[in-house]
Order: sequence, then structure tokens, then C-alpha cells
Amino acid sequence: MTPPTPSAAAPLEVTEESAEKSITSPSPKANESRSPGQLAWRRFKRDRTGVISAGIVIFFFVIAIAAPLIAKLYGKDPYTTYGQDIPGLLNDFAYPVKPNGGISSEFWFGIEPQLGRDVFTFLLYGIRTSLLLATAATVLTTLLGVVIGVTAGYLGGKTDYLIGRVIDILLSFPSTLFFIAFMPVVYNLFVPFDEDVPVWLRATCLILALTAFGWASIARLLRGQVLGLREREFVEAAKVTGASPARIIFKELLPNLWTPILIQSTLMLPAYVTAEAGLAFLGVGIIDPTPDWGVMIQRGAQFYSDDITFMIFPGVSMILFVLAFNLLGDSVRDALDPKSKR
Amino acid sequence: MSFSRRNFLIATGVAAGASTVLSACSSGDAGGSGANKAPSVDKAKAATIAVGTKADSTGAAPEVPGAVKGGTIYTLDQIDWDHLDPAQLYSSYEGACSVLFLRGLTGYKVDSKGTTTLVGDLATDAGTATDGGKTWAFTLKDNVKWEDGADVTIEDVRWTFERLFASFVTQGPRYPQGWLIGGDKYKGPYEGKHLDSIEVSGKTITFKLKEAHADFNFMLAMRGYSIVPKKHDTKEKYDKRPFSCGPYKIDSRSIGKGATLVRNTHWVAETDPLRNAYPDKFVFQFGFQSLASTDRYIADQGNDQFTLSLLNEVAAERIQKVMTDPALKKRVLTQVDTTCYYFAINTKRVTDVKVRQALNWAWPAQQLKQIRGGALSTATATTIISPLTPGHKDFDLYGKKTKPTGDPTKAKALLKEAGKEGQRVVIAMQQSDNSVKQAVAIKSALTKAGFTPVLKQVDKTSFYSQIGQLDNEYDMFAAGWGPDWPAGYAVIYPCFDGSQIADGGVNWPQLNDTSVNKAIATATAETDPDKAAKLWGDIDEQIMRLAAVVPDYNPIRNYFHGSKVGGVVYDSGNTCIALGKVFAAK
Repeated sequence: MTPPTPSAAAPLEVTEESAEKSITSPSPKANESRSPGQLAWRRFKRDRTGVISAGIVIFFFVIAIAAPLIAKLYGKDPYTTYGQDIPGLLNDFAYPVKPNGGISSEFWFGIEPQLGRDVFTFLLYGIRTSLLLATAATVLTTLLGVVIGVTAGYLGGKTDYLIGRVIDILLSFPSTLFFIAFMPVVYNLFVPFDEDVPVWLRATCLILALTAFGWASIARLLRGQVLGLREREFVEAAKVTGASPARIIFKELLPNLWTPILIQSTLMLPAYVTAEAGLAFLGVGIIDPTPDWGVMIQRGAQFYSDDITFMIFPGVSMILFVLAFNLLGDSVRDALDPKSKR
Repeated sequence: MSFSRRNFLIATGVAAGASTVLSACSSGDAGGSGANKAPSVDKAKAATIAVGTKADSTGAAPEVPGAVKGGTIYTLDQIDWDHLDPAQLYSSYEGACSVLFLRGLTGYKVDSKGTTTLVGDLATDAGTATDGGKTWAFTLKDNVKWEDGADVTIEDVRWTFERLFASFVTQGPRYPQGWLIGGDKYKGPYEGKHLDSIEVSGKTITFKLKEAHADFNFMLAMRGYSIVPKKHDTKEKYDKRPFSCGPYKIDSRSIGKGATLVRNTHWVAETDPLRNAYPDKFVFQFGFQSLASTDRYIADQGNDQFTLSLLNEVAAERIQKVMTDPALKKRVLTQVDTTCYYFAINTKRVTDVKVRQALNWAWPAQQLKQIRGGALSTATATTIISPLTPGHKDFDLYGKKTKPTGDPTKAKALLKEAGKEGQRVVIAMQQSDNSVKQAVAIKSALTKAGFTPVLKQVDKTSFYSQIGQLDNEYDMFAAGWGPDWPAGYAVIYPCFDGSQIADGGVNWPQLNDTSVNKAIATATAETDPDKAAKLWGDIDEQIMRLAAVVPDYNPIRNYFHGSKVGGVVYDSGNTCIALGKVFAAK
């Protein structure tokens, strides 16, 4: 019954790392003092793409968090229609008078055609909205996915079967279509006729909907991992010594699952940023006048033939962010699970 | 003379008593984002529509130079038809499309230069008036047939006018109901009773009116008075699938997506002075925003070369690109319109006149104009009667010309006086990408003036049906009205007379003001056109003092089409593109 390699029960990183460590650092002392986390961090620091991507991602989060501060220093806000209030900024067709989308020392990124809002602050606040929604959705999705996935995998049997079918349904569900059809119904239910749909309700609905359709894939992945792990000796040993299921899940199983969880969620966040933008583009997510990345790109698509500048700023910044975040996700995976590199 | 009709916000309609083709002259280099001058629009001049003779009323329709038979014509528009039952049909967009399968007693004949004449369509001529215009007689042509090959009979004609009185008819124009003797008591033909003031003998039908109406034959040319077969009348259901006596019949229809029209083989070209019917097939495509259709016309690929739009115009975002490129501009039909678009204020809900005036003061006219594409597509309106319609009086009660971006201070002061600061206004708009942006401007302007605006985007297809309900829950809605013929009467009476308040009616503000009603009665009775015009202008001002509406703009239409669509001319009678003249070039 006893497998020939008992070390397989230990977390993958440690075995792998100790082997690698012994080559790179001859000092046995240093080797002993490093935890798996520290080792992963060291590996990550050596990955230049990862560090640069992390820098870009952090930059985006910082400007998103600091958007009101930056806007205050810059002296504009994303709601005022400057182009319409100040004559001479928009021509008779409501396009910016100055070349390159009206870029000037006053308006750093130019002004929006037709409504004449300031592109710079609109973009800042748009990034803020999008990142807030995506982060919230990612956190919720991960939590839900972990809880359900681990439960299904650990309990097995009927629970696993039931959850498995729910996941099947969710994965095959046309979520975008559902969202387009369902949102107006929700708004009608919760919002009195003579009120605008409040922004917080839109945001909450978006986050919940993204979460509802997002947890299935991460849950399925974790269920598979748990199925493999729970047959291992260290779990059996814990069971034999009388550990409670909660202890087994939190102390024995979860520490072995952090790698896939972290990788999944870092890849999920940029996907949510684009999904949120996509829904805003379709007009069912966040809508005007709330600044949003997706709304901006939708506008840009309307004006690109006459004012490409207006499309470039939100477009390029979104590409940059999503690319950087995906590369970061790759680097995190490489650092935590170096086996996958080969 | 012409009549247009209720128009959809981005809908069609032109001509104040007038086929006003205007020349848009491009000024310098307006290309790129550097230019700040739009091409200016010359002042359109009005022309009246003449009444044609019996010879004009016989078919076939005069050939369009260079036209070829065959092929398929496509359309690209935002919305489906809401109504096809003539009795329910009032919008000029539906009128523009249904010319292919609906025929009335009279109609507008358009020549290749765009000159419009009133002639008999199913009738042998444009009608004979006796008794000073109180009695009108029309004779049915021979050899006109329904799509099943049966003859169109004089009984069908009588049936058509009698069924206008049925209770399910709530949407269409309501002139005969009020004009015919005994119309107030008649309940429709379905219980087997005829209306005595409509008489038939042989192939002739005679209408007896309470008062003289010299425009009766113009009124009958509205598509809403097209003939319905007694045998195939399915009442409410007729709205979805009307029976054709025109050159095409509905082959298939998918609600919200499109429709295909194929030839009606029983149609005889020699009986029809209006329609050339060159293409073999029409494919209507719905669900395309103006921006999408404009981009497809710019690209001009594949079937889009054979495509035109009857409702969609050059999108505001592309006005600069299209109108400053001579190659593209060549494919645009530009027309000024007598329509006035206004935001009607529901006076039953917003009862305080000061609040209504404050809305007028706060209105962001200039912002909205820019969002719609600037001076080439709209002119700011300050009055209800368009400058192109007789009866227009030039006044500007709420400083729209001096402060085009709105006067929040004045509005705020008025609101304060009324004690209604923070007043909630629920505004219904016709849903489109552009109106979402307009909503931003309106919201910001009204908020500045101390209102709490709530803007609702309402589905365009059923918009007018919704706001026409008397118990609707909106305070304000984006409506528009083009006179059914060029006179103050046709602008003011249907929309502001207290007697016109009804479910499905068009007195959207639900205004029932005794002094206005009285003034309307006086002006209606005035026989001298010049004096009447002055009276209508005064009523316009009177209504504006009561601030029943916020006048928004007079539209300038820019219809764009593919490079292989020929014969695109404007029917200034029905205020739309004359679809019966269009051909697919080889």
C-alpha cells in the first residue's frame, strides 16, 4: 500500500526548490532559512518581464486609486462638458478644433467630440471604475470558486455530482446574452419608475453577474486538484489522527492549492476588465455619465474615422494593462510553480 | 400644399408646404479635426403642391431617366414598422415604406426632378368638390386589383372609411372622424351599420362634411387612408399583415428584423401614376443604428451598393466626413423639414407654469444641436410652428437665441419662486446611441438649474404609443410634429386643442386651456389665409407662454444611400423618399 516515494506528499514547491537551491547557493545555511514563498519571490525578481509588468500593473492601480487626487491637481473633472461650456473648443460638427483630438496644455489628452468632456480625467476615472469592478468580481469569484471547488472535491459523492452538473450548466450558459436580457428586468424590479438606476446598483449587478458566471471554472479546477490530494498519505494521516474536516481543508489541502488559485485569479482580473468593458460597449454595463473604460472605447469606435486620438488613449491604455497583467500572471505562475516552465 | 405627419425623432419628413431642396455649400476645408466651419444651409424656399388633372392621374407613371427594371433594393433602418394597418398608420417612416403595397384614393406623383403633384391614385382624379367644399366625390378606376386577383370595389372604399370609427383604431390620423356628418355617433361598420354621410353609387363615393374643407383630397393622400379590403379585414390583426393592391406584396416578415416584398402579379402598371416599381424585390432590414448604416454606405460594399435608408440619416458623428467629401456628398439627399421637434411637457403632471417655464429657460439648445451634428443637421427652434410653415411668428420667449446654452440662473429663480427646487422630472427619450449622449447634456443642464432630472430611454418602435397614453408616467417626452398640410391649423389643432386629448391622441402635453381653445376656434373659422396665419402665430406664442412644450429643433434631413441606387427623389407630399421611383442600377 505504501507508495515508494513518500516525499511526493510534501508541497511541490519545496521539493523542487530545495533541489534547485542546492545548485545555485552552496551555503546550506541560506538554504534552510528560506520559505517556499521567499524562494518564489527570488525567482520572480529574476524575471524581468514579470517585474516590468508588475510595475505597469501597480502604476495602473495607483492612478486608479489616486484618480480624484490627480484630477484635483490637474484642475478638471470627468463630468463637466468643457467643449460645450467654453466656446472655441469644438467646431460646428462638434469635433475638437485643435488637431490631434484637441490636445493642448489645458487638455492633456484632448477633449471628447460632441459632449466635450476632458479625456484625461475621464480616462482616469474610467480606469478607476473598471478596476474597482474587476477587482471586486475577481475576489468574489475566487472566494466562491475555492469554497465550492474544495467542498465538492473533498466531500465527493452526491455533493460532487450535483455541483458538477451546476458547473456544467454555468459553463455552457451564454452569459453575455443572459446579461443583456436580464439586467433591464432587474432594474425594473428594484428601481421605482421615476428614479434613475443608481450607479451602485449597476455596479453590484455587474459584479454579481460576473461572479455568478465566473466561479465555475476555478471551482472545477480546484475540485480536480482536491480529488488528487485527498487520497494522499498526509491527508489520510490527518484523518487517522482524528483531524476535523475543517482542519484538513484549511491546514492540509489549501496550502497546496495556493498556486493554482493565485494563477487563476491573476489571469481572471484582466479578463474581467475586458468583459466589463465589453458589456459597457454593448450598453448594458456601466452607462453614461459614469466614466468607464468600456464606454470610452465605445465612443472611440464611433469617432475613429475623424478623431482617432480619442480612441487611442483608452484603447492603448487598456491593451497595455491587460497585456501587462497577463504577463504578470505568467510570471507569477513561473515563480510559484517552476515545473510548468519546462 | 403637403402634409407630413408625426415624425420619429430621427425620422424623415420635410417641406413646409414645400419641397424645399436646399443647397448646402461647403466652406473651405472642413476636413479633419482642425476646421471649425460647417457648410451653411441656404434658406429653403417654399413651393406649393399643385392638384393634377385627370390625365395626370392615369398610369403608367412617367419613366425615370436611366432606370432599369429588375434587381433588388435593400434598406437599412433602425426600427421595424409599428403599424401597417392604414387606420393605425401615422408615422412618415411607415408611410414611406408602405407606398409599395398600400394605395389610397389620392396620392402624390413625383417627377424625376422632385416636383410633386396631387393626383388620383385609385380614384380617376384628385376628386370633385361641390357645395363650396362640403361635399367631395371620387370615382374608382377600372382594373385595379387586390393581390388575390379580386377587383378593388367601391364597397371596399366605403368599408375603409367606416372602419376608421371602430374602437380598436386608436393610432392613425383622426380628421374624417371629426369632419364627416354623424361621425361623432358612429361606431364602425362591424355591427352592420353604414355611415350615412358616405354614399356610394356605381363606382363613385361621396363624402358629406360638416364644414367646408378645401384640403379634403390632400388629407386623403395620407397613407393612413389607404384602402382596406372588406373581405380580408382582420381588424386588430390587419396591422401585422395588410392586403396589397400595390405593385408589391409582403412575402415574409420577421418582427424587429426585416421584411421581404415581392411583386404583386395582379397589379396593373397602367392604373398607377405614382409607382414605377422597377426592382423585382425589396428587402427591408431593421435594427441598424445610423452610425452603422452610415459606415456601410461609406464603405459601399456588396449589396450595400443597392441600399437606401428611409429613416436613418447620416450619423451625427459622420456629418463632417460625409458632407465635406464631394464623392460621398453626391450620394446624400438633403432636405429641410417643416417638422418641429419639441419636448412636450405633460401639463397634467407638471401643473405649475413656472416650473414649465423654468424648463424652457434651462434648456441646453446649443449642446443638443452640436451632439446632433451641428448646423448642417438641425436648426434651433424657438416656436412650435416651423419657419417654413405659414403662420410662423418669429419670437423667442425664453432667450434661446441670446443664451443658446441655457440660462440656469433664471430657471433656478423661477423654480424658487414656485417653491419647487429639486423638482423631479422624468423625461422619456427615443432610444438611440445619440440620444444617450443628449441625455447627458440635458441632465447636466437641468441639474445646474436646480431640477432632479431622470432620463429614460424608451424603445423607439412603441415610443409614440407609450407617450400617447393619457396616464403615462412621464413628465416630459421627446416628440415631434410635422404639419399634415402647410397651415397653422395642421400644427396647432391636433396637438394643442383640448378636444384632442385622447388615448393614442397627439395632444401630448394634454393641454386644455380655455383661452387657447377659444383662440383655436376663432382661427379655424377665419377664412382669409393671411389673417388666419397671423392668428395661428399668436396662438403659438400663447401656448409658449404657458410653456406646454420646450421647442427643440427643426431638422435638416440628410439621407444617404448606396452608389447603385437610382431614382432617389423626395416626395414632399408624404415628406419622405419616394420609394416607388427607386431603381437598382446595373
